[in-house]
Amino acid sequence: MMPASPSADAALFRPISVSEESGIFLRLRWLLASSTLREMLRTSRLRLSLVILLSALFWGSLFGLFHEAFTFVDSLHAEVISLLFNAFFSSLMVMLVFSTGILLYSGLYTTPEARLLLTLPVRSETIFAHKFQEAFWFSSWGFILLGSPMLTAYGIVRHAPWPFFALLLPFMVAFVAIPATLGGILCMAMVAWMPRLRLHALSIALGAALLAMIGLAWMALATPRADTMSAAWFEQVFSRLSITEQRMLPSWWLSSGLIEAATRAKDGSVARHQAEALRYLAVLVSNALMLQLVGRQVAARLHRLGASQLVSEIPTRRKRRMSWFDEFLSRAGTARGRPLRLLIVKDLRIFRRDISQWSQFAIFFGLLGLYFWNVRIFNYQHAYAAMIGFLNLAVVGLILSTFTTRFVFPMISLEGRRFWILGLLPVNRDQIVWSKFLFSFIGGIVPCCVLVLLSDTMLGIEPWLIALHEVCCVVLCAGLSGIAVGLGARMPDLREISPSKIASGFGGTLSLVISSLFIIAVVLVTAVPVHLRFAAEERGLVTTGWTTADRGVALGLAAAVALGLLATFLPLFLGLRAFRRLEP
Amino acid sequence: MIAFEGVTRSYGEKIAVAGLDLTIPRGELFALLGPNGAGKTTTIKMLVGLLRPSRGSVCVAGHDLVRDPRAAHLHLGYVPDEPCLYEKLTGREFLWFIADMFGMSKAAAERRIEAEIANFELGEFADDLAESYSLGMRQRLVFASSLLHDPDVLVLDEPMVGLDPRSVRIVKDLLRERTRSGMTVFMSTHTLAMAEELADRVGIMVRGRLRFLGTVADLRARATGQGTGGPAVGADPQSLEQLYLDITSADGAGAPP
Repeated sequence: MMPASPSADAALFRPISVSEESGIFLRLRWLLASSTLREMLRTSRLRLSLVILLSALFWGSLFGLFHEAFTFVDSLHAEVISLLFNAFFSSLMVMLVFSTGILLYSGLYTTPEARLLLTLPVRSETIFAHKFQEAFWFSSWGFILLGSPMLTAYGIVRHAPWPFFALLLPFMVAFVAIPATLGGILCMAMVAWMPRLRLHALSIALGAALLAMIGLAWMALATPRADTMSAAWFEQVFSRLSITEQRMLPSWWLSSGLIEAATRAKDGSVARHQAEALRYLAVLVSNALMLQLVGRQVAARLHRLGASQLVSEIPTRRKRRMSWFDEFLSRAGTARGRPLRLLIVKDLRIFRRDISQWSQFAIFFGLLGLYFWNVRIFNYQHAYAAMIGFLNLAVVGLILSTFTTRFVFPMISLEGRRFWILGLLPVNRDQIVWSKFLFSFIGGIVPCCVLVLLSDTMLGIEPWLIALHEVCCVVLCAGLSGIAVGLGARMPDLREISPSKIASGFGGTLSLVISSLFIIAVVLVTAVPVHLRFAAEERGLVTTGWTTADRGVALGLAAAVALGLLATFLPLFLGLRAFRRLEP
Repeated sequence: MIAFEGVTRSYGEKIAVAGLDLTIPRGELFALLGPNGAGKTTTIKMLVGLLRPSRGSVCVAGHDLVRDPRAAHLHLGYVPDEPCLYEKLTGREFLWFIADMFGMSKAAAERRIEAEIANFELGEFADDLAESYSLGMRQRLVFASSLLHDPDVLVLDEPMVGLDPRSVRIVKDLLRERTRSGMTVFMSTHTLAMAEELADRVGIMVRGRLRFLGTVADLRARATGQGTGGPAVGADPQSLEQLYLDITSADGAGAPP
């Protein structure tokens, strides 16, 4: 066969305009989105339905919560709203700068698509605009999901006129665009001018921002326990929060604009306030557009330079010797168990070197720790504190379940492409599955038990209840690891190389659903008897000695342990059986 | 058509490419050979604009890759060693995306897409999503996309990886035909036999420096020792391989180009 020659097509190519480039990317985005949606409807209906259902539930719960909160705050101090909005939006602004910067770093420089685009005759500013839209969408959906129930509740409580609701989306979008573009500009500048320092600089900046936020929260809320929720406490908190009310900040333009849009004059007219709201919206939109222009100029000058700087990076050399911990882990114990321990060391190394895994782990558990550390500022009644302790236990379990689903469930599937390595080693397949289970169980148990202990200590919970929570925590860690590893081995996807895609498939979704049900079941069977015990205690029915209420608590704990054993060993049994028969 | 002028590229202390001066005229197929870590990939990355030289300049069709990358890219087609596609696009949609990027008219794009689909025998799977493609299918699609706009310069990084013998034959025929009609091809490869079969000129790079530059006939002559004063070892494939190994060995005393 002789290839067809293009000789007939003289001057096939020509430089295209910016608007043509934008049109091509728009078509590309449309094609990709529709193809993804079609596939999702065909293969992941369960996941899609769950996402919609859970989002609706989340939205509804937040709306209810904010409605109550605004009704309460509104009756106390009207100016509180302005302070709260400013504090909320300014913190969000800092987070949006970093989250969009990180997303754009990946989109502009490290993905295969970035490399493809850099070899095509397309302007850097158009590539920036294309990837910015993607990062903007990812950054803003969280804000819209969180902000829309809050602001809708505010509008309803304040009996806002209809333009308030119509202006919500434009306000939110214009606001998000400002920190998002700033994040993009910072990212490009950092990559171009400090390629070696970028990780350190990013870590330092992120650490400083987190510290500033923690400091702000601490400054705002720290006060002696007895004064909490008093008038003086509120006054002190508001005075400290007023630092966020800076007129040059987009968060102030947003807060003021929204408050104006929701306000009616004493005679019921809205025109003057609406005009003021539109003025704030115009300030937000014009600044967002101006920053976009700056961003495009920066991209035109720095994008290709930065991409080149990154390609020039020298890969980090690892130490030839094992770290002391890996050495200890691989040598401690019997020779028979050494292959199992070596498999765990391998997974541990991969985890340590994958920044996306441990950074998410650290951020989520860190934030949870911060929250638990601060629960002490409110005084709780005995029984109420116990219930909050159970809720915190459930939250720890739910966070852990997202990690086991996202990172542990795909582990067996990811061995698919490396199966020839493991298949030729003198280890049996059961050991591979058990090593994943132990890795997940041991890795989860330490931070989770510490967090539960922190929460209970801060709540001033009695020692016997702390012990009960800790047992439940161990049960949750074992069960969640068993579910993720067992189902991962039962339903592996050996062709897929992306862990996020494996986790978002049917098996991953099923693992998440079963994990959530398991957490709810364990917490309920232990929390209900404890609640009944406290109720009995209040009525003077609990005397000294071993009472019926105590027997109920013990029975609840036994049921939780039984559930834990079932959740651990049944999926593992099914997984082991399937994995032994697996033909890669 | 391609001009490297005093190009040096370093990674920190390490010099990956040192003082490369190389001009490749229109219609030539140039093969760059060398062991792993010789600087081939760095050279290719500079040629396609993914990496800027520390010193010197790289020009394609008279356009500097640093100062005017868009103009240079209009004349370039690139087949990387790891093909990148949009997984959620079909092969045909991907070809349309590339054709649009090069500003091809609708009629020309349609004609060229159909022609390349036929050339690379993509018809059977052109309307399937790229995520279902094997490595060979991906590589063929990337070849098709790089040739759509009939570039003046085609850059190939290990082009035969993942291709079956039939596809290799298609690519070889196509490269011969296109170079005859004026296309310049810059190819990096590990395979001496392929360079020998296809290349007009060969460059052998070792530790960032061109140790040999000449035609395959020159290389063959050196292998037989004619006119070089070197050892007369015969012109069979083994001797070429031995010469290549001598030139690329760590302490090899390859003559300067």
